[in-house]
Amino acid sequence: MAEVSGEIQEPFDLIRLSLSERVVVKLRGDRQLSGVLHAYDGHMNLIMSDVEETIMIVDPVPEGVKPSIRVAKRHIEMLYVRGDGVILVSPPQRE
Amino acid sequence: MASQILPLELIDRCIGSRITVILKNDREFTGTLLGFDDFVNMVLEDVTECQTLPSGERVKNKLQTTLLNGNNICILLPGSDGLD
Amino acid sequence: MSDEASPPPPDGTPPPAPTQSSGSPSGFLKAVVGKRVVVRLVSGVDYRGVLQCLDGYMNIAMEQTEEYVNGVVTNRYGDAFIRGNNVLYISAGEPI
Repeated sequence: MAEVSGEIQEPFDLIRLSLSERVVVKLRGDRQLSGVLHAYDGHMNLIMSDVEETIMIVDPVPEGVKPSIRVAKRHIEMLYVRGDGVILVSPPQRE
Repeated sequence: MASQILPLELIDRCIGSRITVILKNDREFTGTLLGFDDFVNMVLEDVTECQTLPSGERVKNKLQTTLLNGNNICILLPGSDGLD
Repeated sequence: MSDEASPPPPDGTPPPAPTQSSGSPSGFLKAVVGKRVVVRLVSGVDYRGVLQCLDGYMNIAMEQTEEYVNGVVTNRYGDAFIRGNNVLYISAGEPI
């Protein structure tokens, strides 16, 4: 049974196998992070470094006009992510 | 008190029947109830998801067998085959 | 709810095969692990892919994941961990 699905038996295994790797984290509020994962816990609180944060901003436009989406980016050396904001974590592609 | 029925007993008696589940948001799910657990997570079969848009338009979506998270459930309508 | 609690019969014969093994939530999940599923979040975003595993919080590990917003593919992830509190439903992607 253990070897059927590789080394993943519970969802957190996916995160454990991504420690020290670059991950993509989708957050509430149309934010996305890409950075190196250093630590996590059961709430999905995260410590990440060398992070690029991408923020999607939908500018308000008059009715009937196609809404334009701005993308803002910034770089953060080291940060803590509170787990309740996390929607999705995607590890690097496994070989 | 002999005929007292607990709420979840009522739902237990609906297993195998059509049921409509109204969520806290603007969604409803209608399907055949296959089972549920202590959190009222529900397994439904032959499911129609119905979302009411802010415009009032209702968007329907057919689904295979589905596990519905109990977290967002507000009202259960036993025997209902969908609202129109 | 009802099909798992009954004690084994005293004579040692195996309990009857559960006729509704996919009826309870846990039975359903056992039936769809390794299969294609649709996970819809409360926000309305869909993730389609192969369900690797999940836990009691409905945290989900998926592979070959495609993210759909308003029916359009917006992202692809080889693997994805979805935090369970965001999950609205898990639906079988094919008949089970």
